Amino acid sequence: MNWLLFTPEIYYLLVSLLFLGASMGGRATPGTDYIAALSAAAVGMAVTAAAVKLEGSLFAGSYRIDLLSQVFKVILSSALFLVLCICAQLNGIRERHRRDFYCLLFLCTVAMMMLVSSVHLISIYLSLELSSYSLYVLVALRKNANLGLEAGIKYFIIGIFASAMMFFGMGMVYASTGAGYLEELTEVLPGFVHDPLLMLGLLLTLSGFFFKLAVFPFHFWAPDVYQGSMNQVAAYIATASKVAAIGILLRVIAVLGEGNAYLIQVLAVLSIVSMTLGNLAAIVEHDVKRLLAYSTIAHAGYVLIGVLSASAGGYSGTVFYAMALLLMKFTVFLVVVQVASAGGNLRIEQLAGLHRRSPLLAMALLVAAFSLAGIPPTVGFTGKFLVFTAAMQKGYFTLVLIGMINVVISLYYYLMMVRAAYLLKPDEALPDLHLSLPLRTLTGALVALMLVAGSFPYPFIQAANAAVRALM
Amino acid sequence: MIVPFGHVIVLAGALFLLGITCAVCRRNLIMVVLGVEIMLNAASIIFLAGALRWFSMEGQVFVVMVLAIAATEVAIGLALIVYAYRRTGSVDPINFNCLNEQPTGSQLAGFIRE
Repeated sequence: MNWLLFTPEIYYLLVSLLFLGASMGGRATPGTDYIAALSAAAVGMAVTAAAVKLEGSLFAGSYRIDLLSQVFKVILSSALFLVLCICAQLNGIRERHRRDFYCLLFLCTVAMMMLVSSVHLISIYLSLELSSYSLYVLVALRKNANLGLEAGIKYFIIGIFASAMMFFGMGMVYASTGAGYLEELTEVLPGFVHDPLLMLGLLLTLSGFFFKLAVFPFHFWAPDVYQGSMNQVAAYIATASKVAAIGILLRVIAVLGEGNAYLIQVLAVLSIVSMTLGNLAAIVEHDVKRLLAYSTIAHAGYVLIGVLSASAGGYSGTVFYAMALLLMKFTVFLVVVQVASAGGNLRIEQLAGLHRRSPLLAMALLVAAFSLAGIPPTVGFTGKFLVFTAAMQKGYFTLVLIGMINVVISLYYYLMMVRAAYLLKPDEALPDLHLSLPLRTLTGALVALMLVAGSFPYPFIQAANAAVRALM
Repeated sequence: MIVPFGHVIVLAGALFLLGITCAVCRRNLIMVVLGVEIMLNAASIIFLAGALRWFSMEGQVFVVMVLAIAATEVAIGLALIVYAYRRTGSVDPINFNCLNEQPTGSQLAGFIRE
């Protein structure tokens, strides 16, 4: 067995174990811990980037390392790094829990990296569970215990319920076909298309991924968890967790979707319901994090359009969309964390006068909101364009039309945020927000990246194309 | 396999539905977690049936793995529930519903009853 293939995961696991050991003894040294975590994440990004060309399989073939998994691992490691960048003031949790926080964050990243490499039902289930368990605790860690506790319990109950459904579904798939590897499933599925046991099993299996991605029947947790968890943890759930879910969903649908008309229809219905519901529910929200949660549900619907197109274009559009989601969502959360610097929740009205308090943050919010809404020349537009084009090529006109209508609906609440930041006057004069130099650089770089990747997307599209070639 | 495959599926399905009923209807967080454990056990029965049907060991490996998963789940769940009990003195899920201040369905039902 070639352990070199497993390097990124081993690295992150070791870092997480180091923080676990540190959390058990010694006095808390927040400054040093933060520097250590941030540099560990930066080194981790380099390690993952160095491992991008590796190929092979591990653990009796249940774990595949190919370009798709490696590209997703790079996205995940950058998501961890970005989230750690906004953790300089962890006002949301107690000082003695800081090391636990870093430990769980790294552990969760390992689990998500394993998730995008899994090609056997067992490895998929194990890594999905491992990543969820870290998140349950992270959500409940919040200092304002009533919010964090309630969010943690809700997340936990809905999560284990969805995972039990998923496991039951996997049992049905296994019992009706005798296949555990995704590859075996590809071979035997055409013979079982009309087996009700198998179809029910597949739907239940997908429910676990839908829970992760917050797709319609399993979306109830999202608003409460985003609102109740710490701003940084919500940022992590909104970026890394969604990227990992998209990665594994691509792998699974690439196996199951070929010529499986029932499944495609179900996915189309779920996609329509979740984007419409997400956008309509977001309109009435005034808590920025709840609004972002509903926007996540809507974006899960757009992602599903790309996935259910089941073509090379659709898959690569989805990978591109995952990168775009990371950029846009993270930028909005960066603004949220900086404006709500005391660690509390942020209401839209509290964004008032942001363009005077910090022009840079206001501009970052503007670009990110436009990108989330899909206005050119931002990266969100290019992502939606790729996904919708792939669906059009498959002839899903109605689906694309409903998607377009939803984009227009979503403009309303994204513009509400921008309006608050630029046009509303705060009731009392608020002090200016001062960002440190590294944060200013980061914000500027994110804004530039969103615009550049939106105007000149070819290198990114080519990377996405190369990644999905592993699926075809 | 002496017992027909269909019978085992029916048994597992019935157990699964019992688990769902327990998880959805009980007003006690510990019983909710217990209901989910029953759902996992129902899934294990299906895997064993599959292993016997296809003469492969994979299904049995699933069951061994899910034992570990269930233990982890209970460990985290009980930790959360104990933490919740210490803070609020209650394990009734209805007491954990203050996010998003607007009255939810269950609270409305409570008002009507009062």
